[in-house]
Amino acid sequence: MSTGPYSYSYIFKYIIIGDMGVGKSCLLHQFTEKKFMADCPHTIGVEFGTRIIEVSGQKIKLQIWDTAGQERFRAVTRSYYRGAAGALMVYDITRRSTYNHLNSWLTDTRSLTNPSTVIFLIGNKCDLDGQRDVTYEEAKQFADENGLKFVEASAKTGENVEEAFLETAKKIYQSIQDGRLDLNAAESGVQHKPSHGGGGASSDQQNNKDACSC
Amino acid sequence: MEEIFDEVVTSEDLKKFEVIYNKQLEANEVTTEAQFNYAWCLVRSRYAADIRKGICLIEALFPDATPEARRDYVFYLALGHAKLKEYSKALQYVRAFLNHEPGNMQVQNLEAIIKKRMEKGEKHY
Repeated sequence: MSTGPYSYSYIFKYIIIGDMGVGKSCLLHQFTEKKFMADCPHTIGVEFGTRIIEVSGQKIKLQIWDTAGQERFRAVTRSYYRGAAGALMVYDITRRSTYNHLNSWLTDTRSLTNPSTVIFLIGNKCDLDGQRDVTYEEAKQFADENGLKFVEASAKTGENVEEAFLETAKKIYQSIQDGRLDLNAAESGVQHKPSHGGGGASSDQQNNKDACSC
Repeated sequence: MEEIFDEVVTSEDLKKFEVIYNKQLEANEVTTEAQFNYAWCLVRSRYAADIRKGICLIEALFPDATPEARRDYVFYLALGHAKLKEYSKALQYVRAFLNHEPGNMQVQNLEAIIKKRMEKGEKHY
């Protein structure tokens, strides 16, 4: 059984949600390209990114839908929640309003995904500690009360970005192992690929090429 | 990135936004939001007739649009035409967008996909 660098056993669908300007696209870019995108324009509708990671020796392809935070896109971006195995819910630690809106994002996520969807709370821009408007403690408490995983991260420095994406995948993988996540259920957000997984190879190499060319 | 291009709206979603739009149309008070949401679903349809209708609805929003909204419309016009394999037209919109915002990666990615599809020898007009 050969497993080339671009083959994988599972596909996990993620969504990234949260208010406008909290850095959702920058987190995605940092995760997929390991670079900080300064001056990131507002996302139009939805963006997409992908990366293959490894959890417990299994190669997993993350398909990440990054939604626009602007209110006018919200009705339609809701349709991208369906079938997400992981949801990264982002606020900006320097803007309290983005934290105050988390309840509304969480309500949407809970109602549009399934009970096994892993929701990970990210307090972005932790490099700007001097301008902090939300304490770590209160956000941690909010996360605990709602059963969410939580880190503060920085798309700029890369701090905890990798961790947030990987921890979410680990938790999803754990749910599969425990049988809590039914792979055959519609909208589980997880696809299991036959072990040779050759189908993913060429398209991923192509994706990487695309990403480099710009 | 090609997922953005190949992703298709569910018939359920299309129906949902169609109903909202048609209700407003009957009452003769269509909001920009309803029209845009419906058009956004239409350009993600698998059917060419839907995509064309989406393009028309977006074009009709242009005259009264804010610069910020125009940016969205240009993007979806590019996507719509590209899905119809009208690549030259799609690239015109992409270039118009990039003239304003040369560094926009989302649109640069779309441009790369369109060029790739053109090279694949799919027919274009």
